[in-house]
Amino acid sequence: MRVTDRLVFENATRNTARAREAAQQAQQAASTGVRVEHPGDDPAAAGLIDAHRMSSARFTAISSAAGAASDEIAAADSALDGVSTALSRARELAVQLANSTYSADQRQNGADEVDGLLKQIVSSLGARVGSRYIFGGTEDDAPPFQYDPATGNATYVGAHDAREVEIAPGVTQQANVRADVAVAGYGGGTDVLATLQTLRTALRSNDVSAVQATLDGLQAGIEQVATARAQAGVSMNAFDAAKSAARVASDEDEVSAGKLGDIDLADAAIQLQATQTALQASYAATAQSFRLSILDYLK
Amino acid sequence: MADLLSILSTASTSLSAQRAVLATAGHNIDNANTPGYSRQIASLEAVTPAEQVNGAYIGRGAALTTVTQARDRFLEAQIPRALGDAGFSSAQSGALQAFHGLDVTDSGGLDSAISGFYSGLRALAQNPGDSSLRASFLGAAQTLARTFNSTASAVESARSGLDAKASGLTDQIDTEAQAVAELNVQIRQARASGAEPNDLLDLRQQHLDELAELAGTTTVPTSEGDVNVTLPGGLALVAGGRAGSLSTTPDGSGHLAVQVTLPGGGLTTLSSSALGGSLGGTLAARDGALKTAGDQLDQFAFDLASAVNVVHQAGYGTDGSHGLDLFTVGATSSGAASQLAVAITDSAQLATAGVGGGRGDATNANLLLETEMQGLGTSGKDVQSTLSAIVSQFGSSTASAKAFADQDGAIKTHLTGLRDSYSGVSIDEEMITMQQAQRGYEAIAKVMQTADKMLETLLNLR
Repeated sequence: MRVTDRLVFENATRNTARAREAAQQAQQAASTGVRVEHPGDDPAAAGLIDAHRMSSARFTAISSAAGAASDEIAAADSALDGVSTALSRARELAVQLANSTYSADQRQNGADEVDGLLKQIVSSLGARVGSRYIFGGTEDDAPPFQYDPATGNATYVGAHDAREVEIAPGVTQQANVRADVAVAGYGGGTDVLATLQTLRTALRSNDVSAVQATLDGLQAGIEQVATARAQAGVSMNAFDAAKSAARVASDEDEVSAGKLGDIDLADAAIQLQATQTALQASYAATAQSFRLSILDYLK
Repeated sequence: MADLLSILSTASTSLSAQRAVLATAGHNIDNANTPGYSRQIASLEAVTPAEQVNGAYIGRGAALTTVTQARDRFLEAQIPRALGDAGFSSAQSGALQAFHGLDVTDSGGLDSAISGFYSGLRALAQNPGDSSLRASFLGAAQTLARTFNSTASAVESARSGLDAKASGLTDQIDTEAQAVAELNVQIRQARASGAEPNDLLDLRQQHLDELAELAGTTTVPTSEGDVNVTLPGGLALVAGGRAGSLSTTPDGSGHLAVQVTLPGGGLTTLSSSALGGSLGGTLAARDGALKTAGDQLDQFAFDLASAVNVVHQAGYGTDGSHGLDLFTVGATSSGAASQLAVAITDSAQLATAGVGGGRGDATNANLLLETEMQGLGTSGKDVQSTLSAIVSQFGSSTASAKAFADQDGAIKTHLTGLRDSYSGVSIDEEMITMQQAQRGYEAIAKVMQTADKMLETLLNLR
């Protein structure tokens, strides 16, 4: 090949520019840690990175919602524990005061204690997480049980439905304890509060047989609340599992996106060194080729 | 017999020939770095007829016959195509790589806006009665709409930028075409004297190269020595001494179309595919991958907004509102991404509840969540896959354009390198030629000196 001066200089320009560009790209990759920035850098990876990131965000949101639902159920379970304790105490009182050896005054005192237990249960069932009343079903912006100070009676005023929260894409799980079922006896169960109110009335009127008549209702109420707590436990486990699974899935998506879009740091460091060495060699060879000229030899 | 005076005369002619060799070498050296310059070669010949003396021929020295250019026509015939292809793919690749609206590292991109929308909806579905979550989701919906707006705007802005570039390129092409036409005239006039106007030929070739790179033109030499230039679609841009011109005009879609005024008159609108070189590549990027990305974004925005609206209309807000759209989107997908907006301003109107549901009812919010995984109307794919496909398709177009740019650039470099190798100036060669001419000049001067002494000897005879 005939070597001309323009060819020499244009090759030098092109080759040093190419070596410099490679070094710059390696330096950019090493300093940012990013392999795919523009979709054209790796089209298939670019689409997948977006998909993984969106999937990761989806699972993070599911994990967060499941965590919040689990927290609410934990709060509900804690409240039901108080209800259960109060009901057990009420049944103890009923068993005790159904005995004819107790006096009317003692039954009056018992009635006062049952009244206190009733208020305690209503208070427990008015539990809130954030701004939400957790026992009102979908009517969660007002206390689910309305207590009438004049009569001393409480009635359920919440909704008769379940709230569902997503635990996986397209899959939902009940996220509330149905106080209307567990406490108010909606759907054929025992109205626990009504039973307590009956017990209180029976004690005040010193009606032993009426007191005895409440025992089955109280037992059924205790079992109803226990059943609700068991269901709450199932839901809580489901949400806790969903939270963990979603977190793992989110992390896996992040890792996958990282594998596709991020550089291997060791590889990047080697590449940086290699391209810088190549650039130095290009400079040296170019400078050397410029030094040789026939002009230095012609006299 | 050759007389001494004729020897002096012959030497004088030969000295002149050596001076021409030296001058040509000097001209070559002067233009060693001139783009498009082809080295020139001064050809010497023995002067004929030789003088006949007593049956023998005695030579009459050397004279300059021609100064020719070192040019490889076969190689040069391949270069315009290579320049046009390289100009096309380089412009297309550069334009697509300069668009960053779909970058994967952009945290403010569509993927994060869509994720934010559905994440906000998930949080809301867990507690739809919470006013702060409602406000937050409404904000996420607005962010999604604005991100569609800004991405569509980025596409449109890139396409408008390419309009401006195309307009500038047509001006450059006109200048080059005019220069070729003028040089056709000058070369024709110069050739009338019988000599080859080498430097004018180089200059015309340089403008032809520029035209090929800018517009993908091809050249057709004529028997008169002119070079006609045609556009890739076959329309003439230069015919002899007359040049046509390119101009731009609004095409009715908010962008510019290219028109050519033919050298003989008449205006024709060119399709993008009838143009090559940088201008063709610029328009190919504008009307190809970028337009496709813009159309797909419009369709995506339209389908997503429509799917969400259908579910939203069926639900109930905490204020009892019903039948409302969440997004405002046009009747068709045209311009949907740039026009997308949130239709409601009060978060109480967010239809999270089902029929008869309370404030905490998330029945409809859960149905809204399902739109994320359902196939969209046009793509048939879910939201995530639809965006992924748009990004990948644009990436593929960009990568393909870059691969072509690299390949075409390599071919251009190879061919122009070969041309430089054949036609370029080697200072080594020219220095040697100069030495050769100098030695010849010195020797001829010695001949003159000797003839002069011989004359002196004759004149001094007594």
